[in-house]
Amino acid sequence: MSILGLSFTLLFVMITMLVSVWQKLGLERDIAIGTIRSAIQLLLVGYVLQFIFNTSNPWFIALILLLMIGVAAYHAGKRGKGLRGIVWKIAIAIATTELLMMGLLLGFRIIEATPQYIIPISGMTIGNAMVVSGLLLNQMRREVGSSKGEIETLLSLGATARQAIQDVMKRSVKSSMIPTIDGMKTVGLVQLPGMMTGMIIAGADPIEAVRYQILIVFAFASSAAVTSIILSLLSYREWFTKDLRLLSIEPERKG
Amino acid sequence: MKPVLELQQVKKNRTGADTRPLFMDVSAQITEPSMIALLGVSGQGKSTLLRMLAALDRIDEGSVRLHDVPQSEMDPKAWRMKVCYVAQQPVMLQGSVEQNLRAVSFLHRIPYEDKLVKQLLPRLGLEHLELGKNAELLSGGEKQRISLLRSLLLRPEVLLLDEVTASLDRGSKELVEQVLQEWHTAEGTTMIWVTHDLEQARQISGQVWFMGEGTLLENSATTTFFDSPATETARNYMQGPASKEQPCLS
Ligand SMILES: Nc1ncnc2c1ncn2[C@@H]1O[C@H](COP(=O)(O)OP(=O)(O)OP(=O)(O)O)[C@@H](O)[C@H]1O
Ligand SMILES: [Mg+2]
Repeated sequence: MSILGLSFTLLFVMITMLVSVWQKLGLERDIAIGTIRSAIQLLLVGYVLQFIFNTSNPWFIALILLLMIGVAAYHAGKRGKGLRGIVWKIAIAIATTELLMMGLLLGFRIIEATPQYIIPISGMTIGNAMVVSGLLLNQMRREVGSSKGEIETLLSLGATARQAIQDVMKRSVKSSMIPTIDGMKTVGLVQLPGMMTGMIIAGADPIEAVRYQILIVFAFASSAAVTSIILSLLSYREWFTKDLRLLSIEPERKG
Repeated sequence: MKPVLELQQVKKNRTGADTRPLFMDVSAQITEPSMIALLGVSGQGKSTLLRMLAALDRIDEGSVRLHDVPQSEMDPKAWRMKVCYVAQQPVMLQGSVEQNLRAVSFLHRIPYEDKLVKQLLPRLGLEHLELGKNAELLSGGEKQRISLLRSLLLRPEVLLLDEVTASLDRGSKELVEQVLQEWHTAEGTTMIWVTHDLEQARQISGQVWFMGEGTLLENSATTTFFDSPATETARNYMQGPASKEQPCLS
């Protein structure tokens, strides 16, 4: 796509702006910020990727992956406000998932060990792990709030933190995985996944694109499971105080 | 001999903007296994005090000791097995009635006292109960008795009973009183019993703790308390129209 062609995409922004002004949605400012940020972020990423693909230095790859994990952990950490060291715990959960995924993909030579494969696939795995972490923490918060009586009943019978929160954990892990699994069932039918669409537009053979998409879908499912279970195990104790009383959970905030 | 339970200058702050403490200077000593009725108007903090004794709520100031060991120095799990709170609103764990009764055995990997359960169920007026039934489907009064029995199986030294007969009919209430009375005699379990039912308090307790004016206002033998209360507040509490009302769950 030429630069001129890219500039014309601003037409879409103008349509959005017009709708906002016309319907008095008051979103003009947010649309402007969103437009500028997405353009700059994506262009920057493009240049960074180009640079890394050219150098192929493994340290750079590692650095990029760490950065992705850091940003993802920070972002998902907002869902776990009030829990001690939650950002670190998310980072560990996501990093473990990423290591496992890459270990399998590279170990069985499913993908080539080049940045062209490693970085985009890692990006998607980490992104999905981030979403799953956020879902898990949100769900835990909701469940701990609504199952306070159940948890405290178990505590009053002398249960450990793990015993008292076991059921809540199980339900939260399950519900954090549901969107990913539902996604598996409808993928390709309701909408073509972004990666596949991109590959096809960029000129790849649709069958080849589909193969990679299948890989991503399967990898997502297992990374959702692994992330969710690791994070729940790392973080369950943080819903209690040191002397094993249930934290008083503030009501969930929007956004 | 070391006192069973000792409260020293216990204080609880309110949450939120209100800076007045909910109660303070609550001190008491239980020297031998006893039956204590904890009385006071609604909202005085009776449930809160019991929850603090069971290490479920924070003790803001002061200390609670069991056989001279402070709560803060004991493992909370071990403490709760000895000082067990039976909640005002009974909560059933997921699963059947039997799974609820087996909770203690399951949590602590100790044998399930099948015989004892079979013996106590009819005595609590629950002989008709199907043990395989989903516990969530029980009536309020059935839940209260199952939750009580579930805690009894832990055989705690101190049992904290928070209006455990509040939703029971007269007959069932008397059954529960009798079972607990006998349990106390046989096991030497100390029971601190919150109730709004003065007749019940008179029946079952040997000692009354009366909470009022943000503290433990009176601590006297049951007969003394009912015959000649030391404070005007306690007298009003017993005569006031509020005491005639049915206890309500809150
Ligand atoms: N989790 C909580 N968060 C905030 N305030 C609470 C909480 N639990 C209780 N309170 C407040 O503490 C005060 C004492 O409540 P508590 O339940 O201990 O009273 P009570 O004496 O047991 O009353 P009742 O006889 O109605 O059961 C009340 O004003 C109540 O609103
Ligand atoms: Mg109460």
